[in-house]
Amino acid sequence: MTPTPTQPATDVRATLAAIHAGFEATGYLCSDPIATAIFLATRLEKPVLIEGPPGVGKTELARATASWLGKPLIRLQCYEGLDESKALYEWKYGKQLLYTQVLKDKLGDLMEGARGLAESIARLHEFDDTFFNTEFLEPRPLLKALWEPQGAVLLIDEIDKSDQEFEAFLLEMLQDYQISIPELGTVKATVPPVVFLTSNNTRELGDALKRRCIHLHIPYPDALLERRIIASRVPELAEAMRHQLVAFVQGLRALDLKKTPAISETIDWARALLLLHAPALDVELVRTTLNLLLKFEEDIAQVDGELYRLVSAARKS
Amino acid sequence: MSEVLGHFLQALRASDVRVSTAEGMDAARVFGTLGFDDRLLLKTALSQVLAKSIADKASFDDCFERFFRAEDLQDLPPADETADAAASAEDQAPDAAGASPATGEAVQALDLQALLESGARVELQLALAAAARAVGINEIQLFTQRGMYSRRMLESMGVEKLERRLYALRQDGDEVEAERLRARLAVLREEVLALVDRQLLLMTANAGTRLREEMLQKMPLARAELGDFHLMQALVRKLAKRLVSLHSRRRKVAQRGVLDVRHTIRRNIEFDGLLFDVVWRRRKIDRPKVVAVCDVSGSVATVARFLLLFLYSVAEVLPKVRSFVFSSQLAEVTELFATHDVEEATALALQRHGWGSTDYGRAFTQLVEQALPDIDHRTTVLILGDGRSNYGYAGLRELRLVHERARRVIWLNPESRAFWTVGDSEMPRLATACDRVETCRSLRHLERVVGELMRSAV
Repeated sequence: MTPTPTQPATDVRATLAAIHAGFEATGYLCSDPIATAIFLATRLEKPVLIEGPPGVGKTELARATASWLGKPLIRLQCYEGLDESKALYEWKYGKQLLYTQVLKDKLGDLMEGARGLAESIARLHEFDDTFFNTEFLEPRPLLKALWEPQGAVLLIDEIDKSDQEFEAFLLEMLQDYQISIPELGTVKATVPPVVFLTSNNTRELGDALKRRCIHLHIPYPDALLERRIIASRVPELAEAMRHQLVAFVQGLRALDLKKTPAISETIDWARALLLLHAPALDVELVRTTLNLLLKFEEDIAQVDGELYRLVSAARKS
Repeated sequence: MSEVLGHFLQALRASDVRVSTAEGMDAARVFGTLGFDDRLLLKTALSQVLAKSIADKASFDDCFERFFRAEDLQDLPPADETADAAASAEDQAPDAAGASPATGEAVQALDLQALLESGARVELQLALAAAARAVGINEIQLFTQRGMYSRRMLESMGVEKLERRLYALRQDGDEVEAERLRARLAVLREEVLALVDRQLLLMTANAGTRLREEMLQKMPLARAELGDFHLMQALVRKLAKRLVSLHSRRRKVAQRGVLDVRHTIRRNIEFDGLLFDVVWRRRKIDRPKVVAVCDVSGSVATVARFLLLFLYSVAEVLPKVRSFVFSSQLAEVTELFATHDVEEATALALQRHGWGSTDYGRAFTQLVEQALPDIDHRTTVLILGDGRSNYGYAGLRELRLVHERARRVIWLNPESRAFWTVGDSEMPRLATACDRVETCRSLRHLERVVGELMRSAV
């Protein structure tokens, strides 16, 4: 996957088509921008920063990429207070303690017959220093991703929830796919992992981080893509119903709501309607199942008033 | 290709998308991999590499559309005819620069006239593009430079020769021929002007706004007009955000708090497990608490709106802010700010509490009643007002009380220092109960003062 100066456009298109097909096989339908981002990420070997409203499949994209590439998915969930001992590595100090105990017992044998301090120290040096050794290293997600011999897909989820310090700490990892462990030196990835970072924009990310990433914004899908997604996720649902359902959700998104329903909610709703064996949308059905789509009481109240209009519009589509 | 990319990046920066050199290099790699063939694909890919926020993406799309229209020549697929034409145009450009003036002009003028006569659009566009490059059109900065650049372009295309010919024709009285030539020249001028206009739009998309922002920053708040409120609002928010992100990094205090057992054991392994070097759990100190009090009475009516705007922005970016406004009565507006957007909130605050006569004495008394329990050694008290109490009691005792408890009391006064001793101003006396008193007349002042304030908070 080394970058080449010029690539015939046909080759690019073929790769993009392969990405589309590959993702579809894993059950993830990607739009053109998403496919382009995956292509660029593999070609430029850069991490992808995914932004977008919650529930549009940001995390799912990483999962699909992992199964498409056949590489393990390593996930790091960010939260406030996350530090390197939880993200990168930790020494197994219990074992290190045991090791010193063992060493202490052995020390007598080792030093037997040594004359003077200089000789003792020389002997001690001959003895391998394994105290700070990879043996005693407990890898956390970031290190695991670098150690993975075939490469991995690393998902750093909700980076906006972590502190600024952690963001700064990630920079080395994202730029050169290497990390520094003070006691051991630098660990570099043999095969650079494909890195995804997701953000819900609760906090503005630093420019330094953004500069190192490809920026992908996933919006809510259009009706066509959403229908295809529903068809692939809930294939049992009748086609007419699928049309109505997607049209209704798209209508909802046009309203000014506190929390707009995302794809995951549409899928949940489709599953619910399937369970109810509903032949078509009607106002009563929608009213009783609306809480699957809308998660705030005030949103439900607002939509309730416009239910007739929305449902009839959806049925006409 | 790299020249086109360079110009594009320049245009992007002009429309306020921040593009670093590293991102420019990424863009070059994208260009190299994708080429010009698939415009949509190129747009998507470049947008992912260059525009890193949703606002930036919108600017990017806009700029991309305009740029690759303005430069649509490079976007043309190299079909047979156009390829030839492009080649000839490329040949022509160095000619104009290199050849001796007399012959070069003659050749060009001939070409130009033939070009105009033939009415071949593509060739004309190519010649225009070459001329535009020759005069460095992408340096254009101001609206008033349009004339100069279009004239230079015309000259570099050898229009002088044609003009002389037109003059000669008129002298000879050949009106028909002269009219024909005049019409052709008019067409050419129009084309050139259109190109210059497009470039101007591309290169200076936000220059006007930027100029205006700079002016607003220096202008005294009292003179700012309502029409500028939106721009001002954006500026203040930008300022507040920057200040907070710069200074809000939480300090960590070691040697205090709870013993960190895991860390201690880990650190003391080398001492054979004896707990020799003790590690404390590093406690995060929260961001500073702020109690902000803003005067919205008649005497500061002209600046009250902007003071409120600032207050709102502070409340937006800092997590623990209690905001109060007063004229004759003190009222808490924390809730109001939290539930309304900035325009509604400032308008409501002014409508409900504003425009009365000032009573600092009562305001501070009520502040003590309402907020004193909340003021402790971590609280910064921020007072925005002119310190004019209509010759009444100015509440010095109460302010002292607040000062004793608070970490700091900072007073920002929209009047300049010279007026503080004049009339009913109580500033000299009130200043004794403040840690800092500053004039704050423009956004520049505001930025300086708040910047220092937050620096010293750390």
